[in-house]
Parts: sequence; C-alpha cells; structure tokens
Amino acid sequence: MSGFRLADGGRVDRRTKRSFTFDGKAQWGYAGDSLASALLAQGQMLFGRSFKYHRPRGILGAGVEEPNALVTVDRGPGRVTPNLRAPSVPIYDGLHATSQNRFPSLKTDLLAVNNVFSAFFPAGFYNKTFMWPRGAWEKVYEPIIRRLAGLGDSPKTRDPDHYDATYAHCETLIVGAGPAGVAAALDAAAGGGRVILIDEQEEIGGGALSDPAQWGWLAEASAKLAAAGNVTVLSRTTAIGHYHQNFVVAAERLTDHLSLAEAEGPREKLWRIRAGEVVLAMGAIERPLVFEGNDVPGVMLASAARTFALRYGVAVGRKLVVMAVHDSGWRDALALQEAGVNIAAIVDLRRDIDPALAEAARAARIGCYTGYAVTKVTGRQAVTGVKIALDGVAKEQSLECDAVLMAGGWTPTVHLWSHAKGTLRWDEAWGAYLPDKSHENLRCVGACAVAWDFGSGLAIGALPAAKPLHESKAFVDFQNDVKARDIGLAVQEGFRSIEHIKRYTTNGMATDQGKTSNLNGLQIASDVLAKPVTEIGLTTFRPPYTPQSFGAMLGHHKEALFQPLRKTGIDDWAERKGAVYENVAQWRRARYFPLIGEDMDAAVARECLGVRSAVGIFDASTLGKIEVVGPDAAEFLNRMYTNPWKSLEPGRCRYGLLLGEHGFIIDDGVSARLAPDRFHLTTTTGGAARVLGMMEDYLQTEWSDLDVWLTSTTEQWAVIALQGPKAREVIAPLMEGIDLSAEAFPHMAVREGHICGVETRLFRVSFTGELGFEVNVPAQHGRMVWEAIWAEGQKHGVVPYGTETMHVLRAEKGFIIVGQDTDGTVTPDDAGLGWAVGKKKPDFVGKRSLARPDIVATGRKQLVGLLTDDPQAVLEEGAQIVADPNQPVPMTMIGHVTSSYHSATLGRSIAMALVAGGRDRMGETLHVPMPGGVISAKVVAPMFYDAEGSRLNG
Amino acid sequence: MLLIHCPYCEEARPEVEFVYGGEAHIARPLDPSTYSDAEWEEFLYIRSNPRGRHHERWRHTHGCGRFFNAVRDTVTDVFETTYKAGEPRK
Amino acid sequence: MVEIGVKIAPVAVSAADLKLGSGPVEGTGVRLSHAETKARYSLRARDAAVLDGVLGRKLPAKIGDTADGIACLGPDEWYALLPEGTTLPKGEGLPVSVVDVSSRALGFVLEGPGALAVLSSGCPLDLAKLAVGRATRTVFETVEIVVWREAEDRWHVEVWRSFAIWLWHAFLAAMHSSGGHAAK
Ligand SMILES: [Zn+2]
Repeated sequence: MSGFRLADGGRVDRRTKRSFTFDGKAQWGYAGDSLASALLAQGQMLFGRSFKYHRPRGILGAGVEEPNALVTVDRGPGRVTPNLRAPSVPIYDGLHATSQNRFPSLKTDLLAVNNVFSAFFPAGFYNKTFMWPRGAWEKVYEPIIRRLAGLGDSPKTRDPDHYDATYAHCETLIVGAGPAGVAAALDAAAGGGRVILIDEQEEIGGGALSDPAQWGWLAEASAKLAAAGNVTVLSRTTAIGHYHQNFVVAAERLTDHLSLAEAEGPREKLWRIRAGEVVLAMGAIERPLVFEGNDVPGVMLASAARTFALRYGVAVGRKLVVMAVHDSGWRDALALQEAGVNIAAIVDLRRDIDPALAEAARAARIGCYTGYAVTKVTGRQAVTGVKIALDGVAKEQSLECDAVLMAGGWTPTVHLWSHAKGTLRWDEAWGAYLPDKSHENLRCVGACAVAWDFGSGLAIGALPAAKPLHESKAFVDFQNDVKARDIGLAVQEGFRSIEHIKRYTTNGMATDQGKTSNLNGLQIASDVLAKPVTEIGLTTFRPPYTPQSFGAMLGHHKEALFQPLRKTGIDDWAERKGAVYENVAQWRRARYFPLIGEDMDAAVARECLGVRSAVGIFDASTLGKIEVVGPDAAEFLNRMYTNPWKSLEPGRCRYGLLLGEHGFIIDDGVSARLAPDRFHLTTTTGGAARVLGMMEDYLQTEWSDLDVWLTSTTEQWAVIALQGPKAREVIAPLMEGIDLSAEAFPHMAVREGHICGVETRLFRVSFTGELGFEVNVPAQHGRMVWEAIWAEGQKHGVVPYGTETMHVLRAEKGFIIVGQDTDGTVTPDDAGLGWAVGKKKPDFVGKRSLARPDIVATGRKQLVGLLTDDPQAVLEEGAQIVADPNQPVPMTMIGHVTSSYHSATLGRSIAMALVAGGRDRMGETLHVPMPGGVISAKVVAPMFYDAEGSRLNG
Repeated sequence: MLLIHCPYCEEARPEVEFVYGGEAHIARPLDPSTYSDAEWEEFLYIRSNPRGRHHERWRHTHGCGRFFNAVRDTVTDVFETTYKAGEPRK
Repeated sequence: MVEIGVKIAPVAVSAADLKLGSGPVEGTGVRLSHAETKARYSLRARDAAVLDGVLGRKLPAKIGDTADGIACLGPDEWYALLPEGTTLPKGEGLPVSVVDVSSRALGFVLEGPGALAVLSSGCPLDLAKLAVGRATRTVFETVEIVVWREAEDRWHVEVWRSFAIWLWHAFLAAMHSSGGHAAK
C-alpha cells in the first residue's frame, strides 16, 4: 500500500495518471478517480468546513448524497461552479478544486470560533436573536451572517458556455443504471419499444461498480445495451424531476469531466423526456448514525468505504472501526478486510447477529462488540479513536482507529416517486418510507421495490448515550449543521409537525435535501415526542434531485437566441440609415433616425417638421392585421366593436374601438371593408395576438353560428406610411389602377391596385393629422417598394421617421395610444371617445358594463390636455397630478400624465393626462410636484394642432 | 408539462400548444341589457374556484386552433376528460 | 455551401446581429435549406364540400392529413402550399374564407437522418410518430411552426416571416450540438 492506495483492485486506470490541484496544492490520481478518491488516496481527510460552526469535515458518502465535501471547481473566467460534491467530481488533467466555507485556509479556519460559541447558535437562533432593532438587519446582521454562513460563492461573470436541450420520447424510461435498472433496460429493449436508460454516475453499474463479482455481468450487459438499436444510454445524466404524465427532465453533463483542451461543444444538455412507462431504479442511500463526534473527518458511511476500496482501490484508513446496527455493515467490513483494508473491530448495538456473519468476522479476525455503541469519537481534524460502551451507557472503553464506518441501514431513494405524487408507506423492517401507489405509469425496481437483499437491522435515530441529548454534539444534518439536540429543542419549544421542525431547525433544507438526514431527523423527533414516526409526517421532496446549473435549464435560450427579435422586411434599411431602435412587444422598431451630431430631441424635432412641411415615410409593418372573411363578417365586427360596421361601404375605412366585456378599452385600429364579405382589420402592434385570440373566442364559443373566419395577416403585409402635404405627389407616379384624386379617394377610404408592379391595398388614413396614405404590399416586396417610394420622395424632401416622432405627431392631434393613454381601466367616455360608441346598437362586447354604476358615476378620470405654464417644461410621463400644491404629504393625487413631449411644430411642450373630472376642469391650473419643484399646467382639450382638421385634405 | 387530449385532433398533445381559457360553461347572455347589475357582476367576475373537479376551457392555439372544454382536478392536475365546445357539461 | 464542424460557432451576443442565412447548411447527417418559393393560402369553411366546390378539388378530411399540397390543420381549416404563382378563387358570397398568405411565412427544409433530432431539440411532439405525408401546426420552443413530413427524412417547416431568423439560428444551434447525440 502506497499512501492509502491499495496494491491492486478498483476500476481506475493505474497506467494513466491525472494531475490536478486542491486548494492550490498539486495532487494526482488515476484516470477513473473521483476528486474524493484521489485525495483520500493521498491521505487527505479534511475536505471542508461546516456551514454554521465551521467544524472540520471529511467525506461522508461516495455519491451525490455527500453533504460535507462541497468544493468549487474553477474552469476559467465565468466557469466557476460552487457546491460540487467531491465524490461526484471526476478528475482530469488541470482540474482546479477548492474547499469552501473557510477563512483563510481549510486547516486554520478563524470562523471556527462559531464552534466554540456553538451553544449560542441553537435551532431558531437567527429568528430569535436578530429581531431587534429592525434597522440593524440590513446593515449589521445580514452582512455578518452572509459572511459566516454560506455555501460557496455565486459566479460573478457571464457564463461563456453553450447549453444544449432537446425533447425525447420513449416507451420506457429507466432512471438509475444499477443492476436492477440495467436488467429492466434489457427487458424493455427486448420488447422492441424505444428505451432510455439514464444514470448520474460516470459509468453505468450503480452499486455493481463496488462489487467486482458483478463486473463480468455488467460488461456483457453494457455491450448488449450499446448494440441495441432501440436503447439510448445516458450516463453523467441526472434525472432532476418527474412531472405530470411521465415527463422527466434530466441534465446530461457533456464536458465537465474533460480537461479544458478536450472540452468541445455544449457543456450540458437538458433532456425533456416523455415516457410511456417510467421505471425507477434509483437504489438506496445508507443512513449515518447519530452519536457524539459523528462529524469528525474520517467518520463515514460503511458503503462509501467499500466503494472507495473496491471501485477506486483506496483505503479510507489504516485501522477502521465499524459502527453497525445493520447486517450490511458486517458485509461491507468483510469485503473491505478481504480487499486489504484493516478492520479493527465491528461494534453493533444488536446482541443477536446473523451467525454466519459473526462467524465470518471471527474467521477474519475482526474484533466484535455486540450490544455496544460508539459514545464518542476522539480527534478534531481526524479520527484518533472511539469510545464505546455496552448499550451506550455502561463504562466506556477506548478503541484506537483512524476511521469509523457507520452502517445505519438504508433509505430507498424515493425522490422522483414523490415528485410524481406517488404515495409512500412506512416500512418497519426497513425503517423507511417505501413507494406505495401512483396514478402515473410508474414502477420501482431494486431497492425501492424491496427487491434488494440487505439483510436486516435496526431503524434508530440516535445511538443510546449516557450524555443527555441537550449536551451532545451528535449531528443529524451535516450540511446544515443540525444536531440531534436542535430537534429536541424544536419539540420542546412546541413544534410538532415535521414540516415545522424542518423549517425551525433547517434539517433537510440544505442543497442535499436531507438525503442522509431526513429519516434520522424523523426518528429523533419520534423518540422525543414519544409518537410513532408515521404520526409526525414526512416532508416533501421537490425537484431538482441534485443542484442544477441554470445554463442547462436555459438550453439554447441564451444571448442572441434568448427570445425571437422580430424585424420587418424594411428593418435593415433603417439600420443602414443609422436608426435608433426601441422594442415593442417582440418587434424592434426604428425609434428615430439621427443625423450626425443629433440627439433624440433634435432628430425628432426635425422629423416632425419634415412631416408637417413636406412628407415623412414610416415603417408601420408591425401593425396587427386580421382578414375577416365570410357572409357574416360585418355582423361579427358589429358585435365586437363599439361602433356600427354593417353600414360601412366597401372601399371605406372606419376607426374601431374594442372593449373587454368589462367595458374598458383594450385595443383600437382603423379597418377597411374590401368587399361585402371581406374586411382588413388592423390592431395595435402589441395587441395583435391578443385581439385575434379574443375574437376567435367569441366566434367559436359564443357566436358559432356565424359564417365568418379570421386569418392573421400581420406578416403578410408590409405597411409603408406616407404622411404629409406631399404624400400624394410621392406615391402618385408609382401607383397603377388607383385614382388618387381627393374626390375619387377621400380620407378614410381604401383602394386595391398596384404599386411598382405588385398588388397593393392602399389606405387613405392619417395618424398625424396630415394628408396620409398607408401602402400595404406583400411583405416579400416591402423593401423594394419602400426603396422606390424613398427614391421618388427625394424630389419632395421626404424624411424617414420613427416611432418617437409618430408619438409626438399623434399627440399633437390628441390621438390616444392604447396602453399608454389607457391602462385597462379607461372607458371610451373617459378617453373622450364617446363618439365612437354606437348608441343605437342593442349590444356589443362591453356595452352592458358601460351602464354599471361606477362607469356612469361622475368624477371618473378623463383624458385631457395639459399645457405647462413654462412652455419649455416637459412633464414626465407617469408623474402624479394634484390640485393643491401646498397640501401636506400625503397629497391628494387626482390623476397622472400619460403622454408628454416637446412639440417642434408648436414650439412648446404638450401633454395628455388622465385627471379626475378632467373635462369639467378646462382652464383650471393643476400641479405636478417633482423632485426639482412643482410644475404648473393648464387643463385644455387634448387637441393641440389643426383642430378643424383642414390639413387632412392636403 | 401536461399532456392534453384535444377532442378535435383526437390525440394527446403537449401543454405548450394550448392556452388556458378560464372556467367553462359560463355563457354570455343573449341580451346582456336584461341583466341586473348584480347578475352582470356574477357573469363578469364570479367563478366557482373549486378544490377538485373543475370545468374549464382550453384552446389548442398552436394546433387545430379550437376551443374545447375539460374537466381537470385542481388538486392533482389530472384531466378527467375533454370534450368539444357546445357539448353538454360532463 | 456552409459546412458545420464539431466546434461551436461563436453565438452573437445580440439578437439584433442575427441574419437569416441564405443556406443551405450541412451538419452531421442533416441539411438545412430554404424551401422553394410557394403560394400559400389559408382556407376555411364549416362545410368542406363548399370549399371543395369553390376550389374544384377534394380537400383532406382528417386533421393532419395532406393531399396535393393542402394540409388539414383544424376541423374547419386547411393550409395550402402550392406552386409559386398559383391563385385560388375566393368564393365571394359563399360561406368560405380564402386568404392569400403567400408572404406571411417562409419555408425551411430539414433533411437527412439527423433532421428529426434537430426538430426534436425544440418541438415537444413525438415527431417520429408523425407519418410521412402528415402535417401539423405546433411549436418550436416559443415559436409557432407548421411541420410537414414530406418523406422519411425530409421535413418542411413553415414559420412566420419575422420569426424565421430566430428559427434558422435555433436550428443551427441544434445542428452544432446534436450531431450524433440524439436519442435512438
Ligand atoms: Zn387540436
């Protein structure tokens, strides 16, 4: 034996060495080693400091249940992962791992002072101590607590890795590739259906990896599975959770086991698997025992010591004592002794031991102490020995050793079963909860199905001891530093349900979700309360089964692919013109087109003046559009919109106002009747999908007798708006088959014809108050037509303008923008749009609500215009309005500013606002208190320019 | 993610293709003007919100596009049945 | 022709930088390209027979079935993908809706033995069970698509024009990642 590496044995490749560092110190191991096995082989026992008391901690387990040995792995900037479990970290050349929760170093942790004062940190300590003074929380207590208690540091830089994701489907999904899982996979494969077998470890085999006698079978089975055309084997893949109808989400680690030079492609892959049947073969986790000093480095699970010896060829000590209450401890001791690990003694609380085991132990010359319990572990940073006593209370005697193995029985892993809402039953023989019934097509094999021969044993929380519970330092939850006495204290303070005890003590609430602590916690609570375990309840397991990176959950939804950014066909023309963009829903829209040296205000002022004096061109393609077709089209729109539609002549447009059934404005837009049975609707950019969904709802479920159909045409048509006195002159030379004269084509009319050789639906509409047209052409031709109009427009001084200018121009005319000047509580009358409500219509969506008492009451907020006393002061949108600026705080707020701009056309600021009883306040001066002082403004009608509408006619 | 059986497509489809539509079998009155304020309030806002069997509407928005009704247990999330719009309450 | 190796191409940090590829692009066992230009129509009718009469052809009756370039997407809805330039009669006055949506969508073609894995990376349907010649509306992650299985290893995907850039790059990301690493 060199160091703690056994002379032979294990599955590691002794011809291939790997170099890595731990806490900056050079280390090595063999290919196939875990970080834990490689360090144990070098005699490293100390792996971390505990969460609360900063006690020295070593390895407890050999798998994902490990609560103590949490490490941070650094793979370069942005690639720092905290809280990885050392037994589950495969080593590779160049691995840099560091321990956590220590300052300045693992061996000398100054914060271990907490341990000295541990009597002051009982359960509920934080809740009780830091209650007063309240202000001290943020400034004093929280920073200190965060410094003292924490699990690793969260990353501070962007994650440069890629993550993959997929859906997958199979007839049978098997979670866990131990002997039972592998057998289930072979069975299922023979059935011919698609099979997925997933396992969290580096290679499949589970418990068989720690049992050389099974390696031959495992190799054969692995080959069979690999050869099967219908089986997908995913190792390094953790089933995070089971969701409804056998939807299992799993994360596959693709590159974390490779050196940086070898790592290529995505780091992880998220598998979203829908399975006909799910087979859970997740095995069982050995339970620690609760006794004084059970957290000293070198005290670990017997099964872990067996795995380190037989799978990795590493002895966890030179002289071991086994503390067992279960036959499996004897079996592990015998296997270890045979593998060359020196077992000094087996201590078992039971007096009756299976004679075969007792005989085998004697034959192997292992000292046996039946009826005894370990009462104390000596040593601080490493085990130096144990004290044992008959029944835990008689006179103590000492045994020398450098490691203690605990065999406390087994807890079947029922996490995914519980995610699936499967019920559990208490099994007295196992001292554990086992799967009972599920409404999913879900079954268990192996340990969870009690088809695993462990032998028998006791189910016991804490070992008997002479020392009273409240003086003991026997740990239940290692990761959250919860002692048996904390559970006793919680019960003493009146907590009865395990859900409350858990939250008060934090038992089982660490990143391991109590994989090793839940059952012991239950047993101890049961003992203290003198009630059966089954009356205390069981806490709920929730996904993820083990901590999971956010990256895998995002999959491809990262950076540029985070979500679609919708662009129109004209977007890149704007980009080349230097447009500044804003996002509206998922669309990006040109907001303004600055010339060199211009800021937004200057650009918008220039664009506004350009439109009012000559002509502007605007990309309105994002407008929602719906084609409404069928004999009942007009009847349908008449029921949906507030105003009458049946009388609208083909070739004419109408402004439509859409309410919810509650009577409030939810959308608006200008729509055209193209034919008796065909309408071209427009909606707001953000409302397109919502309006279509709402209309489909009424059509399908309320008025399914109507012969009318809705088709989204938002993306069919590019929309190019030409607004300004020269608009007609710009498009006239390009237009075919449409008479553009004012007489033949009046305001609010629509014509079909051709422009630049492609079909067009030409609307004569205006959202600026100027003569205006909206040219609809099939989207694929939008860019070509835009450029043709742009070229023609050069003769007339055309300016491209963006959404900001569009907002100013419409505000000068008092046109509302739904969602800006309305907020879901504004009725047509509130918005000054009472004229758009068909008074004679017997019904339309929302009509009944317009007669509700609150809607007809006086004093509702109404849309008005505001002109500031200082014409250059621009109010802030969203600012609150008061009538009396001298009223002490809290002041009575009577409304708020909804839209506010500097108007270049008028040479002053303008604003719109919702003000209580606004239309009765015309001429009144109101006040807007701002941090820099109160701004006063006069209430006016929301119409600032060309009130008579003469400019519409060009 | 739930699987929801669409009664029009006649197959179970993934939840992300659907949009939830609130409680089912609340018909808009043929003539709302005959409703009192209290009756109208009931229609607009009052829902049964049961623990257990819930009749609710779903739309297979990203599939066949149809609204349909379902009975879902609000405790277990299990769908008891789905049926076409216009069919009697199940 | 752009070839994809195993290395991941740097992903642009901003969605604004993405451009629609002109294609085709080859990955491991999969090829992504633009479909040829098509005429597209959305066809609606309560009674399919009336629409049959207007169009002078028999429409597929069952949701998911296709016939001669027309797919049945819903109980009263069909989607036509016809040779470029095809115009269909509108059936004025009849209880039908015929709407030209040729410009609304773009068509992509994924073909090769790896195509199913690329589609499955973001589409939650069990597409292996979608028979050749069937089509359905569904989603790819958050984006609505129509998937049409034209042959065992050839899939036509329709997507609304403004989502096409995102979908193209999402397919590329899956092609980079999934080559040889899909469920059997
Ligand atoms: Zn459906």
